[in-house]
Amino acid sequence: MPKEPIHILLADDDEDDRLFFKEAFEEIKINTRVHMVNDGVELMSHLTNEGNPLPNILFLDLNMPRKTGIDCLLEIKRMAHLKDIAIAIYSTSSSENDIENTFVQGANVYIKKPSDFSMLKKILEQVITVNWQYQTSGLNRDNYFLSL
Amino acid sequence: MRINPIFKSAIFLKAIFVLSIFMLFYISSVSYKHTKALNESSELLVHSYKIQFQLERVLSMLKDAETGQRGFIITRNPVFLKPYKSVEDQIYASFIKLKALTIVDQQQQANLDSLLKLIYARLDLMELSLEGIRKKTIDENQLNQNLLAGKSVMDNIRIQINKMEDREISYFNEHQKKYETEVIFSPISTFIFAIFSLLVFILSFIKINTDVSVLKKSNTQLMITNESIKHAEIIGEFYTTQWNLATGELTYSDNLYRLLGCEPQSFKPSIESFLEFVHPDDRIIVQEAEDNTKLFGKTLPHFYRVIRADGELRYFMSMGKFISDDKSRMHIGIGKDITSHHLSNVALEERNHELEQSIKELESFNRVASHDLQEPLRKIQTFISRVIEKDKANLSEQGKEYLTKIESSAHKMRILIDDLLLFSRTNKAEKVFEKTDLNKILDSANQELAHEIEQKNAIIQSVQLPVINVITFQIQQLFVNLIGNALKYSKPGIPPEIKIDCEKLAARDYPDFITDTRKKYLKISISDNGMGFDQQYAEKIFILFHRLHNNTEYVGTGIGLSICKKIAENHNGFIIANGKPGIGAIFTVYLPL
Repeated sequence: MPKEPIHILLADDDEDDRLFFKEAFEEIKINTRVHMVNDGVELMSHLTNEGNPLPNILFLDLNMPRKTGIDCLLEIKRMAHLKDIAIAIYSTSSSENDIENTFVQGANVYIKKPSDFSMLKKILEQVITVNWQYQTSGLNRDNYFLSL
Repeated sequence: MRINPIFKSAIFLKAIFVLSIFMLFYISSVSYKHTKALNESSELLVHSYKIQFQLERVLSMLKDAETGQRGFIITRNPVFLKPYKSVEDQIYASFIKLKALTIVDQQQQANLDSLLKLIYARLDLMELSLEGIRKKTIDENQLNQNLLAGKSVMDNIRIQINKMEDREISYFNEHQKKYETEVIFSPISTFIFAIFSLLVFILSFIKINTDVSVLKKSNTQLMITNESIKHAEIIGEFYTTQWNLATGELTYSDNLYRLLGCEPQSFKPSIESFLEFVHPDDRIIVQEAEDNTKLFGKTLPHFYRVIRADGELRYFMSMGKFISDDKSRMHIGIGKDITSHHLSNVALEERNHELEQSIKELESFNRVASHDLQEPLRKIQTFISRVIEKDKANLSEQGKEYLTKIESSAHKMRILIDDLLLFSRTNKAEKVFEKTDLNKILDSANQELAHEIEQKNAIIQSVQLPVINVITFQIQQLFVNLIGNALKYSKPGIPPEIKIDCEKLAARDYPDFITDTRKKYLKISISDNGMGFDQQYAEKIFILFHRLHNNTEYVGTGIGLSICKKIAENHNGFIIANGKPGIGAIFTVYLPL
């Protein structure tokens, strides 16, 4: 277990989902620091503000007003200092299109929001314990979509 | 396009006529020459006779003179000297005539001159004798000598005249010979040529006769064709135009006038008069097509509106091309009233647009189902899981039971939404056919169902499956649904035995249910030892939301088999079900190869 807390950033416009997310990390016994933004625009201004530390992993909802998750993904991957952030897509949708698109654009993992709180905890725990720095090299389409 | 002349013999006929005319000329000239030669010949004959006549006459006059002289000498009666007195003048007159007749013959003129000298010598001798007798200066002896000398001169004269006559006769004979060869040769050649010409004329006549009958036949055919085109134009609502480039002459078919709402041929065909009927906004289209005709060598199809004489708006399409024969180029234009076609097209486009609209609506409905409906449900389920996890202990027994029922209802709704999504995806998804190993697909399907298979201790047996061209993920879904079904409707307490069989078959062996007998099919059957069903429901079970059991017995949405049917149809195949209650069910899928 690292001494430094794992820095986690969530971009999701849904208040309830943000609540579940926060509560899940409160219950997971890993040292984390969770920061949440309400949409894509907020996310990009947060990431580009030099005062804010960069997250270890970013959870990105796809369906957001103003700026969608895909738009954010494209922008992040274009910026030299952001492109190495591990990105987990965190969406209600499990459409082939969304999965294919985000994979091609360089997201690390695709999580379909589960409908069970204990499942949510399991998934999030698994995602943050993976060392994405190393994992990215073995990236492939078969284990991109995370299922337990 | 070139027009073939109907009568290729036209040139042949012309040649024959030219030849015949030449022959006629030849025959005429030969006849003319012939006649002329005959004429010349007879003239020559007359000429020759005239000369002979004059010569004979000269001789006879001399003889008369001689006879008279003799009579005088014997009788001394001067009455005998009467012919002698006029003889000199008469001989001279004949001589002048002979001179004129032989003017072209140098030889004969010379002969004539010597003849004249001999005659004068004879006459001089006569004069001498007569003079001697009259003056009685001549004795008997001298007279005899004179008479003898006269006889000798007279003999010479005869010889000279004979010589001249011979010359005339031989000249005539020579001419006659030449004439005869010509005259004998020409009748034969004339006859041959006349016969030949006659033959040519007969041949030409026969040829013309057959040509005329062919022409008549073609003419009738042409008339029939013309009539049928006219008729076709009326029925097919089209028209034709003809434009002769050489003369600039333009012709419109009757139906063009009718299509414009006018009486046939009621105005003079011209581009200007036609343009008056064209919708003002579309005149440029027609004008441009016209202008480009020579450029492209044909009139490209163009579409425009026409306002008929009665004010009705119609839609026209025109095109044209050039045809040419040796002499002139002809532009043939064809136009058609496409109003009904156009209007139905417009209606079709509208329908298409509506259809696209409703497809879009359906897609947005899908979106609602996939995202917007799932989201609140997911939250309900998550909140339920929160309550169960955190506060279940604090609830009353009844509250716990209600909570469990809420949870199971939410779960059913989740399954329903997932199945609906799957069904709409089966409808909509891109149909990408690829070579697929069905064994691998079956393995993946079993993997997906691993939990249920394990739970029910199911035994799944399969024969070796082939590699065929299919939409991979749909066939996998088909296996999942059919095997899943077999697992679900197994008999309680008895481990399900599921068998997958496969064979290739020719459609004609199964004429009862395969209509297209040319094809070959792959038949895959999945049979189980489960509850089965009554055969009367064999078709209903494929209908969306149709179920044979209620939810308390078997949980389900009534979508799974509808998806299977859809998948089979997407592959241009079909699926049938056979069931026996309490024994099992067989689902058979036929996929075309």
